[in-house]
Formats: sequence, C-alpha cells, structure tokens
Amino acid sequence: MDLFPQFLANGLVMGVFYALSALGLTLIFGLMRVVNFAHGEFYMLGGVSGWFVTNYLGLDFFSGLIVVAAFMAAVGWLVDRFLIERVRGQGEEPGILLTIGLSIFLVNGTLLLVGPAPMKVAGAVAEGPLFFGPIAVTKLRLLAVGVGIALIVGAHLLIRRTRLGAAMRATFQDPMAASLAGIRTGHVYAATFALGCTLAALSGMLLASIYSAQASVGGLISLKSFVVVILGGMGSFAGAIAGGLLLGVAEAMWGGYVSMGMVDVIGFVLVILILLFRPQGLFSIRTERA
Amino acid sequence: MTLERNILLAFLAGAALLPFAVTDQYILHLAIMALFYAVLASSLNLVVGYVGEFSLGHTAFLGTGAYTAALLSTQAGMPMWVTIPLAGLVSAVFGFAIGAITLRLQGPYFVIVTLSFAEVLRIVANNWIAVTNGPMGLAGVGQTLFGDVAVTDKAGFFLIVLGIAAVALYLSYRFVYSNAGRAAVAVRENRYVAQSIGVDPFGTAMQAFVLGAFLAGLAGGFYAHYISFVGPEVFRFAFMATMIIMVLLGGKGTLIGPLAGAVIVTVLEEYLREVQELRLTLFGLIVMAIVLFLPNGLMGFIALRREQQAAKPTLNAAKERTV
Repeated sequence: MDLFPQFLANGLVMGVFYALSALGLTLIFGLMRVVNFAHGEFYMLGGVSGWFVTNYLGLDFFSGLIVVAAFMAAVGWLVDRFLIERVRGQGEEPGILLTIGLSIFLVNGTLLLVGPAPMKVAGAVAEGPLFFGPIAVTKLRLLAVGVGIALIVGAHLLIRRTRLGAAMRATFQDPMAASLAGIRTGHVYAATFALGCTLAALSGMLLASIYSAQASVGGLISLKSFVVVILGGMGSFAGAIAGGLLLGVAEAMWGGYVSMGMVDVIGFVLVILILLFRPQGLFSIRTERA
Repeated sequence: MTLERNILLAFLAGAALLPFAVTDQYILHLAIMALFYAVLASSLNLVVGYVGEFSLGHTAFLGTGAYTAALLSTQAGMPMWVTIPLAGLVSAVFGFAIGAITLRLQGPYFVIVTLSFAEVLRIVANNWIAVTNGPMGLAGVGQTLFGDVAVTDKAGFFLIVLGIAAVALYLSYRFVYSNAGRAAVAVRENRYVAQSIGVDPFGTAMQAFVLGAFLAGLAGGFYAHYISFVGPEVFRFAFMATMIIMVLLGGKGTLIGPLAGAVIVTVLEEYLREVQELRLTLFGLIVMAIVLFLPNGLMGFIALRREQQAAKPTLNAAKERTV
C-alpha cells in the first residue's frame, strides 16, 4: 500500500501525455470527424524529429520544441489540404482508409530513413530524482509534465480566446452558416488538423525526452488516443484531459498491483465498457448516441 | 447476378486446374495465399460491403480460428477435417458474442470497439502462456487430413484452400441473394426506411457478422495447418490492413471484388519484394492513391465504364434525331 502514491504519481505523469495526444485527436476525430489512424504516427514523427533537431542540428530542448511544433503544423496543414480535404463529407470510410495508408507510409518511410533503433531526445535538465515525501519523480519528468500542462493551457486559450478559435468553434457548429458568415472553412479545417497534429507530435517529443522515440510506436498510441477520446466524450476538451489522466492512472495501478504484461488491455476493456453503458463518454453532457 | 455467378464458377474451375498445370512450388504457394486471402476478404466484405459497418476487428475471428485449430491439433491430435470446421464454429460463436455487443453501435464507435476486441484478444494470446504459449506461439501444428492421410505437398494444400474458398463463395452468394442479404443491403442504404418496412437492422447485421466470423475462422484454421505455426501476430493490425485493402481495391459490396482484390494484392506484394525496403512505403502510397482515385474499387470502376458504354448509343441516337 505504501507504493500507492508512487503509482498514482507515475500514472498522472503518463496521463498528462495521453491527455495531450488525445487532445489533438479530439479535435481531429471528435470535431472534424476524421477517424485518424495516422495520429500515432504524428506522435512518432514528433519524437523522431525532436531527436533529429536536438542531436543533429544541435538545438537546445526548447528551441527544438518550437521547431518541431512549426514543422508538424506544416505537415498537418499539408496533409489536410492535399489528402483529407478530398474525402471530406464522404463519411468515415474513405478517411479511415486514407489515414491507414498514410500511417503505413509514414512508419515505413521513417524506418527507411532512421532505422528501428530507439532515439533519445536530449532533455532540457539532468536526470536526477526529486523527492516529495514518499514519491520520487525525476526532474526531467517534472519539466516535461510542466511543458505538457502549459501546452494544454495554450491550446485551450487558442480555442477560446483567439479569432481562429472562434472561427473553429463556429465551423464545427455549422459549417454552412460559418462559410456564409465569411469564414474560410477550408482554412479552419486545415488549421484544426494542424493543431491536432502538433499536439500529438509535441506529446511524442516530450515523452521521447523521458523514454525514447521509436518508429514503430505509433499504432498503440493511435489506439490509446482513441480510447481516451471515447472515454472523455467526442470533441470534449475537458473530457480528453480527464480521460487521459484516468487511463494513465488505471494503467499504472493495474501494472503495479495486477500484472505488467496485460497493462495495455485496460484501455480497451474500458472503452468496451464505456460504449456499452455510457456511449456519450464519461464527461460529455450532450447526449450523442452512437 | 447470373454474370457474377458465372464468373465465380469460372474462377473456381480455372483455379481447380492450376495444380495440374503448374508444378512450381513458389507459384503454388502464391496461389494458396491468394485463395486464403480471398476467403478472408470475402468474409470481411460481408460486414463492410453488405452491412455497411466498418469492422477493424476481423482479425479477432481469423486468430480465434487459427488458435482453435492449432490447439485441437497439438493438444488433441485431431486431423484437419475436424479442426478446420470446428475453428469456423468457434469463431462463429465468438462472432455472435462480439456482434451482440458491437452491432449496437455505428460509425466510428463500431470501428473502434471492434478494433478494441481484436487488441484484447491479441494481448490475451500474448500473455496467457498456459494455453497459447505466449509470444512463442504454438508450433508443429499437424498436417494430417483424416485418418493417417497427411497432406505433404503444396498441391494438396491448394486443393484444401480451394475447397474452403468454394464453400465461402457459395455461402456468401446464397446469403447475398437471400432475403436476409437483401434486407442487409436495405439497412446499409437507409436504416430508417428499412426499419419502417419491417427489417430488423440488428438481426440482419448479426447474420452477416456471424457468417463472416465463421468464414474467417475457417481461413484461420487452414492458416494454422498450412504454416504449421500460430502466434499472437495473427491478431495484428497488419493482417487487418491487408484485408481492408483487398476489399476496397476490388470493390466492396460485390462478390467478385474481394476475390480480385486478394489476387492483385498478393501478387503486388510479391512483386514489390524486388524493391525490398521500399515495399511497405510504396504500399502505403498505393492505398492512398486507391482511396483518392478509385473510391469504389475496381468493380465500381468497371460498373461505371459499363454504364457509360450503355449510355453512349442512346446519346448518339438522340444526337442523330436532333440532326
């Protein structure tokens, strides 16, 4: 029982990154209705390009973070303008296939370029643990969590306080009315996709500074992000955060007390139960029947 | 309908002659894999093409079938004529259980929850060492057909998988052109209209789902015996992606489409082996190109061309009249 606070802390740390990545997906999947199976690959690209800019270009962690954010936003924008836009409004199926194709392409393209070895992003501070009573957290983790929380707040402000954010909210309420009001919805969709993509990539880069980035990690991350989005409710900002923390803690507890091997099963069992008993998600007020 | 049936019959008859015409083991292996995938793609097509819901968890049934056959063969020493049908039946039972839960959902929820089931099964197969032997898998699956007749060469396996393919196509054909199949299409096209004329969407979807699971289980059982090894990777997403690409390339909602897709993709994958490392990267690009430029698959393209051909003479006649 004395390990409980430690498991809780570990779970919350992981949860922040799940939340960050799921926040990206809740924009793309929950609002834009693109069932994006390449989401984990954006996460992976974030880690890999983070490794590239810190190790090869010799940037420090924070300027690397900015470069990666700009790069991945551009990638997201282009993917939306050239691929997703062409299947918009045709239901989920073409989008699913397109993103599966994209994910196969990105994984194998990355494998081809950088190989399967794990890549470590150079962190901003030294390893070294900090102790808070019974809990030990490394400085690196604490910093990454701090950056993650700052990003979540930043995304929230972007959506709530800026003109672009207002245009996004209008577009997803009623695209027709929004375009009648002079909003260029094509740009808004692309910007939303780019934002979602960037959030996933930054989550990937932050985690790669704690653990390491690997070309093949994407599939599981995609699935977990879907799990979190469904847990929290489609398109719900707070839901994605709560869902991410919940998944992180549940996994840490299960891994700590039951069995390490079956950790990944948790998310899927949760999602099956949620869809059976509360299909609108745990935190969504709007009832949206599946 | 008759055209579709005749093409299917001609395909099966042509395939039956193959082992007598070709002795090259490598080509026979390719043909076996093509037919194996044809069964899988046809079974997925029942759900994707006729129910109209996008299942990403079809590997659950393939894997269940493969593990069932492998366990029956390695633990109880049962021959193929028992294990493969039993693999289908066990998968069908799984299909019923999973369908009872998942078919209540639609759209993206259905996609994710079916995928979740396949992932849960994969993780269980990976960790339940006592039964599945974990990541080591079950090796040395027997190759006896019945009694003490063993299948030793590729031609024998080819005939077995051809038999399974014939069963799969026959059952699919009977289902698609039965009242249940037509009801499923009605639900796919418009759920509410179908309901208003007395079609039970859940019931019809369930029939297609269980039939699809049964056929995928047969394919899985065959796979276990042919490869003679089953590991957790039968549940992997790679299998799923291949199946989907076959169904969509060929054209979903047609019986010939998945068959054509299976043959093309199997050959294409082998052909791309020449460019080793680029293979999967190119594969991803091809998938994207299909979605963008061939959204209804090859059969959709052919149907479109036929319609255009049919429309042309009337257009010309109309022109002549105006002149």
